[in-house]
Parts: sequence; structure tokens; C-alpha cells
Amino acid sequence: MDLNHLVFYYLALGMTIPGILAVISRNPVHAVLWVLVLILHQALLLYTLGSEFLTAIQIIVYAGAVLVLFLFIVYMINLRLEERWKVFVRRSGIGLILIFIFVFLLFKTISVFLALVPAFKPKLPYDLAQASNLVWIARYLFTHYLLQFELIGVILLIVVLGAVFILKKLQEVKNDSF
Amino acid sequence: MIPFEYYVYLSLLLFCIGLVGVMLRRNLIILLVSLEIMMNALIVLFSAISRYSNDTTGYVVVFFLIALAAAEAGVGLSLVVLLYRSLKKIYTEDINYYRG
Repeated sequence: MDLNHLVFYYLALGMTIPGILAVISRNPVHAVLWVLVLILHQALLLYTLGSEFLTAIQIIVYAGAVLVLFLFIVYMINLRLEERWKVFVRRSGIGLILIFIFVFLLFKTISVFLALVPAFKPKLPYDLAQASNLVWIARYLFTHYLLQFELIGVILLIVVLGAVFILKKLQEVKNDSF
Repeated sequence: MIPFEYYVYLSLLLFCIGLVGVMLRRNLIILLVSLEIMMNALIVLFSAISRYSNDTTGYVVVFFLIALAAAEAGVGLSLVVLLYRSLKKIYTEDINYYRG
């Protein structure tokens, strides 16, 4: 067992165990903090996959923006009801059945997917070792995926407009206690 | 080098954890957190594909995925705040008005 495998196993454990703990923890603050641990390990995993730019983006956007937003909302909505309930999951049989069907289908189709792996071919005949990862991502983004890049900008603008709209709705809500 | 299958199984495991969270939790915020975990599974899968096929397309898809996850978290959390302010409820059973 060499160092690559050790690092991979550590990162895999550091992603799955906080994921499970985030899903089963009663306190939402603990759940969000466990997801933070998951995301930091995942950033390291992206680094071992050879993409330092995505590591930086992952830490800045996920850990810096999205999870802080989650924590802010959790602190704003201070509901401690769930910690007092004995059963804090939905007891829905249909959900469990759907999970089992979905996991079964995933494990059935994963062998088909893995059979496709030797057929992976680069879409464009560039040698990735010629330049840094960031150079290639920028080149792809601003040439081949320019339309998608602009569409992401439009989507984020729509999100901002939607948040402002919801905020206007909030001011119309009566009987506001805080 | 680590086999590609390991990344696929890691991604599958994370996706299943997120799926269990979405299907079985009551709290809407934890439901959104589980959606983020599912997005992270996709990020792992796409970057592994990109690494093992020596192509940058998967990294670009990961870039778009991170942007979309931020957008989804913004919309979802603002809806949760609206729901909490107007109904004082964020548990899925309390707001399930249209049970068929």
C-alpha cells in the first residue's frame, strides 16, 4: 500500500463519515459543520485529482459562501424542536422503498458505466501537461463553453432577483414576531 | 495510481448518503444540506472522469456545478426563510398540505 492509496482512503473516510454524521445529527448546526468537514476533505481530493483551481473554488464558494449562508439561516431560525423528538426522521415507507429501488438501479447500472471506462477519450487533442490546469479551464470556458458560462451568469442573476422578490414578499407577511 | 472504480464507488456512497437524507429527514434545512452532499458526489465523479480521460471538460462541468449549487442554496434558503416567517414551520410534515 503506497502513499497514494493511504491519502485516498483517508480522504474517502473523511468524506463519508462526516456525511453520515451530517445526515443523522439532530442539531442542524452540527449537520452544517459536519458538511464543512466533508467539503474541506473534498477540496483536498480535488487537489489529488490534479485540479488546484477547483480546490480554491471549492473552498471559497462552498466553505466560504454556501455553508456560511446555511449557518446564518440555521442561527436565524432557532428551532430546537427536533432535539426533543424521539424519532427525528420521517417514517415514510414509500421513501424507504424509493431509496432501495434507486440504490438497486444504481448498482445495476454502475457495471455498465465501468465497462465504458476504457473508451474514455479526450474530446480535444490537447496535451494537458503542456500548461497548468487553470490555463486549460480558462481556455475551455471562454471558447467552447462561452454560452454556458454566460447562462450561469444569467442563472445567478435570476437567483438574486428571486431572493429580492421573496424579501419583498416577506415584508408583506403580517404578524411578524421578529 | 488509484483505480477509477474507487472514485465511482466513493461518489455512489456519497450520493446514497445524500439520498437517505433527502428522503428521510424532517428538517427542511437538513434536506437542503443533503442536496449539497449529492452535488458533492457529482463533483467527485466528474473530476475523476476528467482526470482519467485526460480531458478538461469534467473540470468545467464541476465549475458549473459549484455555481449551480450556490444558486440552489440561495433560492432554497430564501424559500425556507419565507416559509418560516409566514407559517413558523420548517418541518416537512407540518407543511404537507396536499397529501394525496
